[in-house]
Amino acid sequence: MTPVIEVRDLHFSFDDGSRALRGVSFSIAEGECVGLIGPNGAGKSTLLLHLNGLLPETWRGASPVLVYGRPVTAESLPEVRRQVGLLFQDPNDQLFCPTVFEDVAFGPSQLDLGEAEVRERVTRALATAGITGFERRAPHHLSAGEKRRVCLAGVLACHPSILVLDEPTSSLDPRGRRELKAMLQRIPLTKLIATHDLDLVVELCSRVIVLDGGLVVAEGSTVEVLSNEELMLRHSLERPHALRHLHPH
Amino acid sequence: MRHDFLDRFSRLDSPIHRLPPALKLGASLALVLTVVLVPPARPAALVGLAVVLAVVAVLSRIPVLFLVGRLILLEPVVLGVASLGLLQPGGWRTFLFLVVRSTLCLGIMVLLSNTTPFSDLLHVLTAARVPVLVVTTLSLMDRYEFVLVDEAGRMKRARASRIFTSRRVRSWQTLATVVSQLFIRSSERAERIYAAMCARGWR
Amino acid sequence: MHIPDGFLDARTAVTAGILAAAGLGIALRQARTHLPQRRVPLLGITAAFVFAAQMVNFPVAGGTSGHLIGAVLAAVLLGPSAGVVVISAVLIVQCLMFADGGISALGANILNMGVLGVVGGWAIYDLVSRAVRGLFGRILAAGFAAWCSTMIAAVACAGELAVSGTVGWSVVLPAMAGVHALIGVGEGLITALVLAAIARVRPELVQPEAGTSSRVSLRVTMAYGAVVTVTLALFASPLASRWPDGLDRTAEVLGFSRQAAAPMLAAPIPGYVMPGIQATALAISIAAIAGTGVAFVLAWLLACALVPRSSREHAAEPGAEP
Repeated sequence: MTPVIEVRDLHFSFDDGSRALRGVSFSIAEGECVGLIGPNGAGKSTLLLHLNGLLPETWRGASPVLVYGRPVTAESLPEVRRQVGLLFQDPNDQLFCPTVFEDVAFGPSQLDLGEAEVRERVTRALATAGITGFERRAPHHLSAGEKRRVCLAGVLACHPSILVLDEPTSSLDPRGRRELKAMLQRIPLTKLIATHDLDLVVELCSRVIVLDGGLVVAEGSTVEVLSNEELMLRHSLERPHALRHLHPH
Repeated sequence: MRHDFLDRFSRLDSPIHRLPPALKLGASLALVLTVVLVPPARPAALVGLAVVLAVVAVLSRIPVLFLVGRLILLEPVVLGVASLGLLQPGGWRTFLFLVVRSTLCLGIMVLLSNTTPFSDLLHVLTAARVPVLVVTTLSLMDRYEFVLVDEAGRMKRARASRIFTSRRVRSWQTLATVVSQLFIRSSERAERIYAAMCARGWR
Repeated sequence: MHIPDGFLDARTAVTAGILAAAGLGIALRQARTHLPQRRVPLLGITAAFVFAAQMVNFPVAGGTSGHLIGAVLAAVLLGPSAGVVVISAVLIVQCLMFADGGISALGANILNMGVLGVVGGWAIYDLVSRAVRGLFGRILAAGFAAWCSTMIAAVACAGELAVSGTVGWSVVLPAMAGVHALIGVGEGLITALVLAAIARVRPELVQPEAGTSSRVSLRVTMAYGAVVTVTLALFASPLASRWPDGLDRTAEVLGFSRQAAAPMLAAPIPGYVMPGIQATALAISIAAIAGTGVAFVLAWLLACALVPRSSREHAAEPGAEP
């Protein structure tokens, strides 16, 4: 079966010459929930921006990022961006419309759907995110957790094939974190979650990719990789509490 | 610290709030024009209008103190410009007339802005064929103005906690640095917003 | 300088509105052809930034404080046309959301601060920064242009109030010009400080960008120039010849009889008044030139204080800056 996302030897350097990604390769199969972990500066966020074509800014040659087997090109960008639903780290950057309804409707209204269809999608997305009734609320009156849900709804309303989340639980209080986790568990889409929250990875992800210094340094089942204390410490991580009771291999 | 208290009452539920935003904007404009075109020989008309405004204010369920507070805050500008009229022949009568007329208009606009969320007004502007770039700019400004005000406040406090002198030069330098940082961060934020808009298919 | 409702007559408000629409229209056309899509959110964010920056208190003395207006700052950072859109947006939001500036005076306020203040200020910035190269030149130009921008807006505002018959020229011009000469110093100072601070961290943000700010075409320059010229002609013309009429109308419009008016100022005795006008016009011209000169010198001194010696020496070499 074609993987939803496949990355083959991706390299990327910033304008100032610093190399962010030095040959990253992995793939994500349909229905999987994969965790992407690594220290700060490993290149996680930069990698995620490649998955829906936000990077690189100009194309040189064939793209090493394939969505459902097809390389990302300038022509396929709109479709790729619909299929790969990216949730940014800071909901304040992603929530740019004056009301919740307008923000969630932003994606669908770019898709040439009728007004009724847009409205229906927004309603369903808000319900999935557990924020029905928030339509007329203004973003700056929402809490961090509520903002994140609106961003999630906004992405879901586009009917993506895969959810890519960048630090979804950062700055959430424990309840907000629990609710987000429950929501993600309910949503049956393929998921890639970049996070520092290792307990979340244990709770949600069957597989994990470890990124450090722009390279994939480890990959495998969550329990196997995260229990490897030596590996984790080597890459500025640690064995999560959820796995403390397990003996190291 | 949240400055969005200024937008606190625009989403209440009241007969006035429930009126269509286009009607409210149109009526406000019409009322202002009426007031502005009243000749000085007919001050009675202004009294009538003041009564209308008072009725609207009561119906809107916005706390009177808040409305009065807003008026008081804006009044100095009116007084300032009108005071130039004091130096004219006919001074006091001119001054008073200008102040009353202008304050009434302030009241109309204060009521408009507190019974209509700005996003609704933007819909009216879009329907009125105001250019897309202007509406987008207004929309983003509305969304982020309080975010940036808060950010500026946080930066000021952070810097103030490390300034141990009260020399004015130092404080101007500090404030200018805060403002410059605010712009730099804002322009970086604008890049991220652009990315977020593209990620959801913006055309 | 936000004019409230009720101080402009209908004719002035409508004319100013038409001119403001013309200026904004030119800016939008420029933006449509030259603004890359990537920069569109920057306009909105910069408008929010100007709003937030205007709320920062710069303490002056005994409880008073100065505030940034931001016309020249926006123009230098984004280019003149984007600057027009940004400042106009700020004024619209201030009017509709905060009742700051009358809705019937919105046209005049946008014309004064959003068009004249931005375009006039930027024109001076462009001229001075081409004459004096390097970062030093840009800081000097920005500080001076910010003062000029404040004055231009103030004079236009005074003109509109005078032509409306609300206040006579003899009162409103010295009042507005005098007060704003001081406010303008604060504006120049803050603008220069902020730009210098930005340049220290992200110099590329203060550099003119090819294709946006410094390569404004001749046609656009002339279009803006037309708007500015017509505005000054309409609203600053009382200075040239209609002075007694202006005061006469003041008395009439406000419904007060001629007897109530101060006789010397209201009586239109041509032979007597003409030399009076000329003398006062001369006095105003001298004051304007002197004030502008002082502002330029202050801006120069400020730039000396803000820009390190090494950058200035760079500027001395011809062709050192792109």
